[in-house]
Order: sequence, then C-alpha cells, then structure tokens
Amino acid sequence: MAFRLEREKATSTPYVLIDEEKKYMKLEGRCFHENVAGFFKDVNEWLDAYLASDFDTFTFDCAISYFNSSTTKLLLNMLLKMNKYASETKKVIVNWITTEDNEIMVECGEDFREDMDNLQFNMVIM
Amino acid sequence: MNFNIRQYSQMLADHNIEVIYSGPIWAGGIDGMAEMLQKRLEYEDLPFSASQSVFSVFVEQMNNMLMYSAEKDRQKDPDGKEVETSKGIYILGIKDATYFVQTGNVVTPNSANILKTRIDHLNTLDKKALRQFYKQQMMAENDNPESKGAGIGLIEIARRSSTPIKYQFEDLDNGLLYFTMYVTIKQGGKE
Repeated sequence: MAFRLEREKATSTPYVLIDEEKKYMKLEGRCFHENVAGFFKDVNEWLDAYLASDFDTFTFDCAISYFNSSTTKLLLNMLLKMNKYASETKKVIVNWITTEDNEIMVECGEDFREDMDNLQFNMVIM
Repeated sequence: MNFNIRQYSQMLADHNIEVIYSGPIWAGGIDGMAEMLQKRLEYEDLPFSASQSVFSVFVEQMNNMLMYSAEKDRQKDPDGKEVETSKGIYILGIKDATYFVQTGNVVTPNSANILKTRIDHLNTLDKKALRQFYKQQMMAENDNPESKGAGIGLIEIARRSSTPIKYQFEDLDNGLLYFTMYVTIKQGGKE
C-alpha cells in the first residue's frame, strides 16, 4: 500500500504531506523546531526509501515561509539527496514557493538551486 | 519589596524598549516566546522583510544563548522529562522605524574567545560575502554530520543585522564573563 502522511502545522513546525500514490510531498508554514531532525525522522526515512526505489517521478512543493539555520541544513540535506538520485528516467521536480517580499526564502531558494543540477528546480514567486 | 517596578517600567519606556524577557531559556520554551514576538511585530507598520529579520534574529539569538550561556540548570518539565535551561535576557526596542535587539548572558572564557573571533570575522564581510559564507558553511556541515551547527546561527544574525554586530565582554568575579550582543535592523536591510 502506498505510504501517506499528513501532519498539521504547529507554532514551530510546518504542515507536512506525503502522498506516495501521487508521488508528491509538500511542506508549508514555518519551521524552527528545537529538534528538527527528530521531527523529520519519518519523512527522511520514507524519502530515503522512495528515492532508492525504482520511481519515475517525484514532486516536492516547498512552501516554507521561514526556517531557522538548523532547519536550513536539514532541508539542504534532503535536496542533495533528491539531486543525487534524480536522473532522466527518475524525474524530480522541486517547486520553491514563496512571496516576492520574503527575501530570506527567495535568496535561500536561489542559493540551493545553484547546486541541484539534476533537479527541475522551479522558483515559484507569488 | 525593594524592587520598584514602576521605575523599572519607566526606564524601559525611556529607552523605547517594547519587549523584554529575562530568565530561563529552554528549547521548548522558545516556541511560546516566538509566538508572542510574532504577534507583537504584527502591530508594527514595517515591511515584512524587516519584521521577518527581527524574528529570525530572535530565534538564532535564543539558540545562541541556549548553547553558550554558562548559567545552566536542569529542570523537570510537567511531563517529568528533564530539560536543560540556560539563563539569559532579551530585549527588543523600536525607535524611528529601526529595531534594536540586545541579548545578555554569562559565558566561559573559552566561549568568549570563540564568539569574539567569529563575530569579528563576520563584521568584516558585506551582504554578498555573508551570503556566500553562509552557504559555504552549510555545505561544509552537511559533509560533517558530527558538527553541532556552530557558527551558522551567528552568520544568519549578521546577515539580518543592518550594521556590524556590536558586542561587549565584561569580567565577572568568578572568572566568567558577561556577554552582551547588540543588533540593529533597519528598513531596507543591510547597508
């Protein structure tokens, strides 16, 4: 059975949706949780397994409006993993969704994008 | 009752201090403080980027104090779980569309040296160089999972601060030092 995980957002943690059937993952909201690695443990475990599997496409919508420096590292790690497994037959699309006035997120998206040659990394600026 | 709260309140008002927190800082408690700060910032008629910078500096400073404060204690939370707390003080002032943030905490001489070296270096970098340095450090840490994230938070503070980070170390009687950090955030960001 396809894996599905949905978690509502809280003060310091984002909304999380993983819908394996739709080959889709979404994060939305703010993230500055003290134990961000713990919070994303199951997400990362699923992601590792999915990326290593024989998938054809995967879409990640990242609509985080703010994250702290420890979350930045976690997210970078996720993206590098996606970049490592992505290829012509294993297509990975990342939509970096933010607003024009969100300078921190716009810059962060641009900086991440530079190193993700295998991803289709779209800056979606509303 | 030797402490005169009316005088204290007046003193804060005279210095345009709008938000103050003094006491134990613990990881789980930062959420509640952040929520309060966020609500307070919504009342200020300043661009999103400025209030977001204040918020970001707050989160990183709290984590900085959590890590570097030499006044640590262990307390049991309501669930009986033991949590480590660090003592510190945070103030946010607003004057002429400029935010100023000041934090204070006790540090060991070793931490003082680390902080001094890092801040002095960050203060030599401009906006673009800070952005590059942030990314470079992030990549380096990704390659070294053992790293405890040292330094990235301070770079983020420097990126959001409109002027160089001001700081001071005062010697205390017990061989420790009192560390004060002062950050200014203006509309329009870093100069």
